[in-house]
Amino acid sequence: MQTMRCSAIVSCVALAAMSLSLHAQDLTLPLKPDSVRFAAIGDMGNGGKEQYAVAGQMGAFRGKFPFEFVLMLGDNLIGSKDPIDYQNKFELPYKPLLDAGVKFYAVFGNHDISNERFYKLFNMNGQQYYTYKKSNVRFFALDSNYMDPQQLAWLEKELQNSGSDWKICYFHHPLYSSGAYHGSSVELRQLLEPLFIKYGVQVVFAGHEHIYERVKPQNGIYYFTEGASGELRKGNLRKTDLTAAGYDQDRTFMLVEIAGDELYFQAISRAGLTVDSGVIRRLPKPTGATLWPTVRPKHGGVPGRAVAKAIGVGLTTVPTVME
Amino acid sequence: MKRRIRIPRLHLWLSVLAFAASTLAGQARSPQDNEEVRDFKTFTDRVQAYVRMQKNLEASLPPLKPTKDTAQIVEHQHALARKIIEARRDARQGDIFTHEVTERFHKIIRKSFQGPEGRLARRTIQQDTPFKVVVLRVNDVFPDDIPLTTTPPTLLLKLPELPPELTYRFVGRDLALKDTKAGLIVDLIPKAIPRGLP
Repeated sequence: MQTMRCSAIVSCVALAAMSLSLHAQDLTLPLKPDSVRFAAIGDMGNGGKEQYAVAGQMGAFRGKFPFEFVLMLGDNLIGSKDPIDYQNKFELPYKPLLDAGVKFYAVFGNHDISNERFYKLFNMNGQQYYTYKKSNVRFFALDSNYMDPQQLAWLEKELQNSGSDWKICYFHHPLYSSGAYHGSSVELRQLLEPLFIKYGVQVVFAGHEHIYERVKPQNGIYYFTEGASGELRKGNLRKTDLTAAGYDQDRTFMLVEIAGDELYFQAISRAGLTVDSGVIRRLPKPTGATLWPTVRPKHGGVPGRAVAKAIGVGLTTVPTVME
Repeated sequence: MKRRIRIPRLHLWLSVLAFAASTLAGQARSPQDNEEVRDFKTFTDRVQAYVRMQKNLEASLPPLKPTKDTAQIVEHQHALARKIIEARRDARQGDIFTHEVTERFHKIIRKSFQGPEGRLARRTIQQDTPFKVVVLRVNDVFPDDIPLTTTPPTLLLKLPELPPELTYRFVGRDLALKDTKAGLIVDLIPKAIPRGLP
């Protein structure tokens, strides 16, 4: 009887593990030819076993989704920043990815120090903020700890000069967040969002809140918070009118694929479970227009359909959310 | 015929406008404003002198370029900090934030944080205020074991611009002028944020 009970339990566990592992291996991204493929992680650099587990899961998923680079959304090195910390909090957890040639592009979080910009593997090239292009996508990596007039002027110039189809900004502090600990960075939003609208930024990634959240499109812009790739504030997501989807029960990372006018995303937990996924469609640029329209954003958080259309972003997200 | 008459009229109007503009500009620059310009000129001159010194000292070190050698990054910061501390061993609080400049900063900061308009700046500061009490001193290493407080971007629009070698950083209610490469506190204004704000 005892043996039978044990055997039944083992079978159940094995079945559960199998089903978990099957689910864990699910990839919702389409793997289209010539697509831009990347991952996004935030608030990861604590050197804890959870960071290593997330990194391991990223490596496992890379077997199916060969992403080429990773956006680091800040708090790259939490706590001490001695040479050994660069190893334990970055080089060792992501070694398989680094060895495979995956590039990491970092921004500063509020736990980082400015000399991290000289660390070659963060690809900041000695700069506090910078921009780079991958195929038809232009990335703008900003320092939200210190948004001075020089950085704002630089951002406006770079956005204006960019002819890329996709413009993606990323930085540490989320402009919209339902996280209970910090919440939205409203002052920063007042300065940045008008530029995003004016120059057609479609997607923004941030960290800082130790949760995952996808915010409903605000003024036509899609905002993601991925601040749980090492740190976690379990149960800290206070779902508000802003929240389209969110997850605060475990560490997470994101995978993103951009193919033509479509951006596919998938948020994955440390255990390999898909906690959110979907697609964002970019509308073609309005023909004949030389400049994007200037529209003052509504800070009440109402998605602006007309604005979205004007700046070339579709509101036809088809999320498949597991909450 | 009409055309000939219009041109002198246009000239007349332009002259009147130019005169009015110059008169208004003269009126706009009050003695107080001139004093403010003078005080901030003193500030920026001292900031520039500091940056010149920092660059000269750094030139005596092996140049720091992006590297995988993290020991080199850390050592460069420490070596530069040692040289600056030595060169500024007599530095005192108020060398750059002079008394007059401190008064100006107090006014700007108070105005930026007060009332309904200052609500967002107050919130920015509150987001990451360190829990532990930190005492700042000139020539000390800026505490990097506490989270950085975001410097309110609307305040940065009002303060004199700094070169990339320096930043304004709040720690609690104190405002520090921080060397971004050496990680040192170059000068500070204690209690820059008045009590009760935020």
